[in-house]
Amino acid sequence: MIEVTAGWYLSLAAVLFSIGLLGILVRRNALIMFMCVELMLNAVNLTFVAAGRALGNLEGQVAVFFVLVVAAAEVVVGLAIIVAIFRRRESASVDELATLRG
Amino acid sequence: MTFAQVLTPPSVGWIAIAPEIVLGVGAALILLFDVQYKPKRTHLGLATAAIVATAFAFAIVQYDRVQTLSQATADQAADFVATAFPFDAMIVLDANAVFGRFAMLLVTGLGLAAGWRLFERLGARAAEGLALMLLSATGFMFMASSTHLMMVFLGLEVGSIALYVLAGITRERTESDEAAIKYFLLGSVASAVFIYGVALTYAGSGSMNLLEIQGVLARNIFTRPAVLLIGIALMVVGMGFKVSAAPFHSWAPDVYQGAPGGIVGYMAAAAKIGGFAALIRILFTAFPDFISTWGPLVAGIAALSMLLGSTVALVQDDIRRMLGYSGVAHAGFILTGVVAGGAGTGEVWFYLGVYTVQLVGAFGVVAAVTGAATSGAGIDAFRGLSKRAPFLAATFTVLLLGMAGLPLTSGFVAKFGVFTEAWQAGYEWLVIVAVLASVIAFFFYLRVIVAMYMEEPVDEAVAPPGISVRASLALASLITIVIGIVPGPLLSLAGEASPL
Repeated sequence: MIEVTAGWYLSLAAVLFSIGLLGILVRRNALIMFMCVELMLNAVNLTFVAAGRALGNLEGQVAVFFVLVVAAAEVVVGLAIIVAIFRRRESASVDELATLRG
Repeated sequence: MTFAQVLTPPSVGWIAIAPEIVLGVGAALILLFDVQYKPKRTHLGLATAAIVATAFAFAIVQYDRVQTLSQATADQAADFVATAFPFDAMIVLDANAVFGRFAMLLVTGLGLAAGWRLFERLGARAAEGLALMLLSATGFMFMASSTHLMMVFLGLEVGSIALYVLAGITRERTESDEAAIKYFLLGSVASAVFIYGVALTYAGSGSMNLLEIQGVLARNIFTRPAVLLIGIALMVVGMGFKVSAAPFHSWAPDVYQGAPGGIVGYMAAAAKIGGFAALIRILFTAFPDFISTWGPLVAGIAALSMLLGSTVALVQDDIRRMLGYSGVAHAGFILTGVVAGGAGTGEVWFYLGVYTVQLVGAFGVVAAVTGAATSGAGIDAFRGLSKRAPFLAATFTVLLLGMAGLPLTSGFVAKFGVFTEAWQAGYEWLVIVAVLASVIAFFFYLRVIVAMYMEEPVDEAVAPPGISVRASLALASLITIVIGIVPGPLLSLAGEASPL
């Protein structure tokens, strides 16, 4: 029986975070990119919880609540911006948002 | 044992967060009054200015308190800890935080006056814009004054989320929503990277309090500090995004070009003050002994920012994009002071203070010439500006020369300060890169000045700027010249501003 240590959780979180970051770089739909940001934030939460458990202190567990609240606030503003863009352009692809460049 | 003995309340030092309380409550009151009484927009603007002025008055009281604290004797030690580190040491009342508030509130006041035309154009939504501006200032001020990484993150998010909304606050133009989504997506990635850095730092050191982290690192020798080092690097990268340092700058020119003209100067300046305040606090308070590790990383980012910002700005035909890339270069110049460690704090703050004032003033001129609610500002609109609007052309010239770092302007003293610090810290190569970059940067500032004074005017008449715009532009230019000739008082004020 292999013992699952905190290192495993930290590694899993690192993998999740990398998947999220990669998604931001390769996907072109604003909604999907936004979901990738959420994935990154959840990887952060996993890191906090695993580290808090391994260190035996509560700070890491409490931090998750703050990250969740911030993520919810970001969802509110982010979805509002995406909806505003979709109404005007009938598309949520960031490739069509190319007026500003140079 | 009674209940009161078990539960000791945390030390609450309201004075340490008084300016933030004033701004936050003020923002809420503005929204409420707007809903209930439908006041005139001018009255809302004056109320906002009064709120900023009240917060500034509290910051002056805090400065006085910090002066008293610095002379505290040994038997006042307990009192010192309670006053300087209230809220269980999550907030700190020190010169670094107070100088951050001075800079932030000055920029907010100038930005409000210079961009007033935008709030007039917003109509019924003026109160929303004003409240968001105050809220973002609250968040960025918390970034300067907290000693806990979770608090820094919350300040960062309060400030940034308000700015995402402000970037897209005009409904008329499509460039504005494009700027908002770009700022939002890249900004939230930056926040996620920063908070992942915080999580790894916590995993590596066992605490999120900067003072405790420093204590832990000083007491223990880490045999495998990899998690901690990655954490520090990710926090630097996250803040690099916020202050638009290369290679994390790609959002800045787009947002500066697309966001409404009246607010973009404030947006750019506020994010820079908040980001650098937190960077100084994190690196100098928690990781002063790791300077040999983060120093080269920061130096690399600084060199890349200066070279890339200066050269790409040369080929821009939009003044706002040009100022965006020049902002990338300036982030590099300020980071040149950061590599010197704690010794360079005063010079970094001085640079930050004078540059953000110039930035708000310059965008104020751009908004006055090309409109406060529109996107973009082609260089054609500035041709022959000296004949059409001599006052705007003169103030723009002063502010651009200040950014370029011409002697007798505040920019020269600021550049000289950070270069000296970096040289003394052993980063000679970085100073050589920085001087080269300043020479390149001179050309694109000069190009705008030549267009304003030497070229034939276009037919478009410039609407005469309002009294608030004229006052803020005159003040920004005056600060640039006066600080350039008599830098002593501000240098000594900034010199005190090192984190506890």
